[in-house]
Amino acid sequence: MANGSASSEVLENLKGELRRGCLIVAVLAQLRVEQYGYTLRKALADDGLEIDEGTLYPLLRRLETQGLLVSQWREEDKRNKRFYRLSGEGTLILKQLLEEWESINSSLGKILVGA
Amino acid sequence: MGLAISDQGLVVSGQRHGFSIAARGEWGHSMELVESYLKAVRRYLPRGMRDDIIAELRVELRSQIEDRQAELGRALTDAEQMVIFKRQGDPMSVAMRYRRTGRSLSVGWELIGPELFPAFLILLSCNLAIASVVVALFLILGHLPFTLQAFLIPMGMEVVIVTLVFILLNFLRGFLGRRMSESWMWPPAELAHLLPLPRWYSATGFAACGLLTLWWLLIPHFPRLVLGEAVPELKFTPEWHRYYVPILAVMLIGAGQRGVNVIRPDWNWLLPMGRFVADGAGAVVMFFFRMHTLVVAADAGSAAQQHLAEAVNARLVWGLFGPWLWLYLGITGLVYGWYCRPYVRRLIQRQRGGVVARAS
Repeated sequence: MANGSASSEVLENLKGELRRGCLIVAVLAQLRVEQYGYTLRKALADDGLEIDEGTLYPLLRRLETQGLLVSQWREEDKRNKRFYRLSGEGTLILKQLLEEWESINSSLGKILVGA
Repeated sequence: MGLAISDQGLVVSGQRHGFSIAARGEWGHSMELVESYLKAVRRYLPRGMRDDIIAELRVELRSQIEDRQAELGRALTDAEQMVIFKRQGDPMSVAMRYRRTGRSLSVGWELIGPELFPAFLILLSCNLAIASVVVALFLILGHLPFTLQAFLIPMGMEVVIVTLVFILLNFLRGFLGRRMSESWMWPPAELAHLLPLPRWYSATGFAACGLLTLWWLLIPHFPRLVLGEAVPELKFTPEWHRYYVPILAVMLIGAGQRGVNVIRPDWNWLLPMGRFVADGAGAVVMFFFRMHTLVVAADAGSAAQQHLAEAVNARLVWGLFGPWLWLYLGITGLVYGWYCRPYVRRLIQRQRGGVVARAS
């Protein structure tokens, strides 16, 4: 019983680690089109990648600080919203990340076929 | 379905579902709760980023509430809004996600855990500030010299004790799992009425207060519990006996509140009200109690016993019932008094509502 809960905790931690890197790529990819936080979260969820608010907003802030995103406060539907989009540097980084993703994915594919 | 929402009000009108609701009042109330939640988050955010982060969180929360309202075709109840806030998380934890830099106190962070670490820092800072004030008062009143050692020892003890308590709490969090992690450390006063009190919290408090009350109840039968080996040589003064029942009453209120909340965790109003009364009254009683001579010599003619009585009095007045006690009770009484405000306001609003309903 204790072993079961320990291994499920390990699994949760590993899944978390796996998700973290993927989330960054997903957020960057989604922000090729300008969006504000709430619609971005919904769009990711609609594509099967749930992300909670507490993770998304600090992540957006971090990516903006790193120069990968740019943001702008603008009024929409009579309300001020902060819109994010990919910066020039972000576009380059996303391209490289996607290449890396493809490479890892293809390597994993080969490893798993061999296993 | 049509949904028109502005910052001033909400008007929902649905053709498809056949409903029509004009709920300006409810939307205003929704915003009150959202603002209370945001105010609580704001308190723990890094200074320079506060306005920006809060504005963004406001958009997120409003959007979620609007979507849910459109889904249901009516304004959300307080409890339904609370579900949204709970999903967002404890205000302190939400704010700490913007602070995570991992640059300092990483050992404490590891031992205490990221969820409890902000509470640990705040509580430790408050404790150290109070401890330094109490030590300074003690030195001034006792005409003692200000030395570094006089401050370092009690403050070092504070650090050790608070750290150990939080390490234990972190262990309990892991042990109790989700039930404990769902409870907010310090909910904003305006939202506290929507959060049932965790049973473990009331139960542990009841056990501690119950033991303390039992100790006090046994003192008349076993004076040794306070006087130790000096029982044959000392006796309690009439002042001690005069304050005995009020102190017992304060303890019973404290234990009673916790006991009732074990059975009725939804009576969350009882916590601030009960503790405001108990701690506030306790502060006043203890302030005056320690001004009196509490024990005297059993044999008034014995110089040795009188000397002993003086020494025991000083220990009681500066130790067991020292100024820290009424100061602590006074501060917690004030904090709980602050937490009573929304409950009193709600009570007044309800009474006014009742009067208006009767008049119409």
